[in-house]
Amino acid sequence: MGQNNSVPNQGSSQGGGESKKNQDKKKKWEPPNPPPRVGRKQRKRDRVTGLGPKLPVVTPNAKCKLRLLKLERIKDFLLMEEEFVANQERLKPQDNKGDEDHSKVDDLRGSPVSVGTLEEIIDENHGIVSSSVGPEYYVAILSFVDKQQLEPGCSVLMHNKALSVVGILQDETDPMVSVMKVDKAPLESYADVGGLESQIQEIKEAVELPLTHPELYEDIGIKPPKGVILYGAPGTGKTLLGKAVANSTSATFLRVVGSELIQKYLGDGPKLVRELFRVADEMAPAIVFIDEIDAIGTKRYDSQSGGEREIQRTMLELLNQMDGFDAMGDVKVIMATNRIDSLDPALIRPGRIDRKIEFPLPDPKTKRRIFTIHTSKMTLGEDVDLEEFVMAKDELSGADIKAVCTEAGLLALRERRMRVTHADFQKAKDKVLYKKKEGVPEGLYM
Amino acid sequence: MPAGDNGRSLADVISIMASTCAAPGDRETLKYRLLGSPGEIGDWGHEYVRNLAGEISSEHHERQAEGKPVDDLLGLAGQIVPYHMTHNAEPEAVDLLIEVDRLELLSQYVDAGNCRRTCLYLTSCSSYLPEPDDMAVLRTAHAIYLKMGLHHDALRVALWINEKELIDSTFAACKDPLEKKQLGYLLARQGVVMDLENGITIVSEEELPAMQDIVSNARLSEHFLELARDLDVMEPKVPEDVYKMHLVDGRAPSGRAMDSAYQNLASTFVNAFVNAGFGQDKLITAPADGDGNQVQWIFKNKDHGKTSAAASLGMIMMWDVEGGLTHLDRYLYTTDHHVKAGALLAIGMVNCGVHNEHDPAYALIFEDVNHDEPTVQIGAIMGLGLAYAGTCKEEIEELLVPLVMDPNISIELAGFAAVSLGLVFTSTCHQECIEAILQALMTRPAQQLSTPFAKMLCLGLGFLFLRKQEVVEATLEIAKTLNEVISKYCQVVLDTMAYAGTGNVLKVQELLALCGEHIETTSNSGWKVAHQGPAVLGVALLAMAEDLGGRMAHRALEHLLQYAEPSVRSAVPLAIAMLNVSNPDIYPTDILSRLSHDSDGEVAKCAIVALGIIGAGTNNARLAGILRNLSSYYYKDQKMLFLVRVAQGLVYMGKGLISVSPYHTDRQLLSGVSLAGLLCVLYACFDIKETLTGKHHYILYYLVTAMKPRYLMTLDEAGKMLPVPARVGTAVDVVAQAGRPKTITGFQTHTTPVLLAVGERAELATEKYIPLSPILEGLVILKRNPEYVESNE
Repeated sequence: MGQNNSVPNQGSSQGGGESKKNQDKKKKWEPPNPPPRVGRKQRKRDRVTGLGPKLPVVTPNAKCKLRLLKLERIKDFLLMEEEFVANQERLKPQDNKGDEDHSKVDDLRGSPVSVGTLEEIIDENHGIVSSSVGPEYYVAILSFVDKQQLEPGCSVLMHNKALSVVGILQDETDPMVSVMKVDKAPLESYADVGGLESQIQEIKEAVELPLTHPELYEDIGIKPPKGVILYGAPGTGKTLLGKAVANSTSATFLRVVGSELIQKYLGDGPKLVRELFRVADEMAPAIVFIDEIDAIGTKRYDSQSGGEREIQRTMLELLNQMDGFDAMGDVKVIMATNRIDSLDPALIRPGRIDRKIEFPLPDPKTKRRIFTIHTSKMTLGEDVDLEEFVMAKDELSGADIKAVCTEAGLLALRERRMRVTHADFQKAKDKVLYKKKEGVPEGLYM
Repeated sequence: MPAGDNGRSLADVISIMASTCAAPGDRETLKYRLLGSPGEIGDWGHEYVRNLAGEISSEHHERQAEGKPVDDLLGLAGQIVPYHMTHNAEPEAVDLLIEVDRLELLSQYVDAGNCRRTCLYLTSCSSYLPEPDDMAVLRTAHAIYLKMGLHHDALRVALWINEKELIDSTFAACKDPLEKKQLGYLLARQGVVMDLENGITIVSEEELPAMQDIVSNARLSEHFLELARDLDVMEPKVPEDVYKMHLVDGRAPSGRAMDSAYQNLASTFVNAFVNAGFGQDKLITAPADGDGNQVQWIFKNKDHGKTSAAASLGMIMMWDVEGGLTHLDRYLYTTDHHVKAGALLAIGMVNCGVHNEHDPAYALIFEDVNHDEPTVQIGAIMGLGLAYAGTCKEEIEELLVPLVMDPNISIELAGFAAVSLGLVFTSTCHQECIEAILQALMTRPAQQLSTPFAKMLCLGLGFLFLRKQEVVEATLEIAKTLNEVISKYCQVVLDTMAYAGTGNVLKVQELLALCGEHIETTSNSGWKVAHQGPAVLGVALLAMAEDLGGRMAHRALEHLLQYAEPSVRSAVPLAIAMLNVSNPDIYPTDILSRLSHDSDGEVAKCAIVALGIIGAGTNNARLAGILRNLSSYYYKDQKMLFLVRVAQGLVYMGKGLISVSPYHTDRQLLSGVSLAGLLCVLYACFDIKETLTGKHHYILYYLVTAMKPRYLMTLDEAGKMLPVPARVGTAVDVVAQAGRPKTITGFQTHTTPVLLAVGERAELATEKYIPLSPILEGLVILKRNPEYVESNE
């Protein structure tokens, strides 16, 4: 749309015969062809913008009249679109003309067609192709081929005799990597993270802001960080924060668990890492989230076992992808682990991982926030005093608090009560702590 | 069913069982509830009550249709609503009352705890309800806020309803002087003029000077400069800082295109936009040593270029009435008509949105309205329109109406006069003005009516009806009888203006049908398609009311690009701009960037202006990059390059401290005057050859009515700036969410004053102060929290 390449030619042919006065010449000047939009990034972007925006998300999620009204509004607009398109098709039938064009294109395309690879684009209408056998050729690219989708290295259809490019074959993505893409955003958002304010701020500065507001970094004149590592005791919210990032960002989110990168055959692991980053770059802006990085990122040592060495090679590939020869562009990496001390120092050096974000056990203030988050949707009895749990000296992590709240709710449910009482919470806490301390009841050894 | 206690108990049990196992639609829960005991309704649990409420509303609809009495149902509803209201289920209570048409009952169940949630739900619903219902809902919300003594919220809803008496009485209801000041800031932002000396809105003697200051925006310039100093951006910028030629990859503009008069003109505009409101720059108000230079810049432009150059001084001195007038004084007595016109226009801009007690603008301008030279007259007319936009000053009407009606003066003057009238009397349906403009449209010959300036007559008429909805009908009928050259155009303009920002889906449907027509035109019947441009823009105008409609309108516009005729296509970029004012999202930016390379020159020009509008005042780096590339792409075409430069200036408007979005206060209120100014520029793009790239580029200065600082500044009780920490983040839709959800996400903590972009919200990060406005935007007064205790936890 809007890329009518034939217009400038018309302009110049008219302009050629006109008088040589400057005034006239200036009027006849036509802008050159729009900048060619070839290459991966442009292609991806055109795909996004070409189809119009997605349908908006409707909030609130609760079943209420407002939601109904909003959905009806969307329906109204969709009906209007349908009506409009139907009318246009009726007023301006394009089918017959389309059919004619199709048959003409088919004639030009010839049959049978052969498959080749586009090696290089020389100019708007010419390129170098190679087929599986034989040498490379300098051939014409026919005008009906969508130039926006052409890129060096893609598979093309070629005329059987003239070998001119007559069509494009869409290349397929690696199924292993496409599984990692998070299509459905997780439900956890920043609002579900209690406390951790400085951590959220740090991760946003490092990961989200460079993708959404690159101008801020440009103004200051620094290169935004490439990646962050989240570390801390179990249950302090590392994965939760990862999910929240995925929830809030509109960038492509790829999530991998370290152990997924360990493959059976030699060389498969590094290949997967390469593929992962290639896809991320293709879908840029993208965020890669590698959970439990200690599975592959442990310190290197002399090992005799082939398996160990393979894992180390996988890590080396990761090192290279993160700060190697190829620029990573709009790809950010988040890693999470609870054993940062065992990681290879090369992996977490600045330049690869610019920020190390620690997740401590919650302090009383944070505990209070976490309690409020988990209890905000619960019906609490009058007597519940959360302060008691907040101020208690037990080492409660975020996950423990959630467990306490869930447990208390379950206890209330067992007794068919509408409200959760203080006693429920106390029982729940004892139960959770009992399990955590592996069966040693609290207060036994004073 | 046996009578007596046993029977009732049985009915109760059947009722609760029916809520789980009855076939859907037979409403047995309700039937047996009515037969059963009238006891406490919540005993059977929440799910039961919800189920019952659903059945009541469907039963109510059925009975109403048949004309049967509904008293027993209302009795039940009267039981259910208080139950919902006390159990955190306000949306359900509101839903039920809307269904049974008893919304007035709501206010008695509201208390301080659930008032905000209830009203938030009501106001959000109103955007989606059909026409009479939406106002009823808003009025209910208004009544509740008033009852709870939440004056700021009440005034906001009153402004939303847009009814003068309601606004006055709401303002008068507030007795606390400090709170009243906060209301004054809200009124000033919306551009409402309030008579503080007479009538019910009178304020006490000792409060009067301070209140006058606030309501008349007198200290706007002061606050803006404080913000600029705080952010350290006082240093004036020159156009070259904006063009950033060293970052351009391709060919830099050179040769003829570079040193033409257009480029000087472009620099004038860029300089004006970038340094808007700062009171100093490096071209016009040059430093003291180069006394000769400053005059020279104006005279580096030719003819009408001088008008814009002189007028740019007004934008730089914007809001600073006293400082601005001393600077402008010397140009008022020059013999050069163009410079004089520019100076008059500049006076208008300096006074735009600011009302000085001495009222200098009128005194300085009014004589020149009837000057012999049309150029000067246009400057004077525009100046008056800008200076008194939204004030309904009667003297302006007396001065301009004769100009509109006089059939002997040029249509150009009449057009500008009509637009000025429209700005001054925005959405008042002022009778004399309407008659005058209609008369002009009826008496002018067809040849004049097909010029762009006749369209300005329609535009001015449209402003008078801005958001007045069905009041427009009578005038619409008259518009049908006009000369065919303008009739259709006038109808579309009136219709879209009257329903602007209402989200009326039926109107959108009509407009889309208009856009879909394929009309054959010849070279001298271009007027046949003239109405399609406003129709496209109208789709955006109607749909911009809420986020959802806006997003869906984008899809409709995409279809227009695909199917419609050139006249429609060229308006699509403008519609996209209207939907995303000062909000450069990736999607609209990409579409516009694509359209700005379009082979149809008109489309490309509109797209370039649109790129400027969506980025206005954001300093967006991506957009700036796109425009830089465009400047090398169009390196030879001076008109295109001029527009690209203007767009670059817009993007860096006010060094990123200014927004032109007509929506403010958490995207709830639409400022009519801002919208009108924005529309002047967008409408001018329909005839971009004659207007912006022709001799009337100063139309761009209409944007000044929409330019407002995009800040949050906190003030102490004496009105001094008070820096406090504040969190700024993306706004979250919290309507009807359980518990106390966070209103912003992904926030960062700053110290006020801070900048707020479209779609962002702020909250205080300290408990030490209590803000007097629940919405932190613009100027907010803080009160010390009496319960605050210093803690070092």
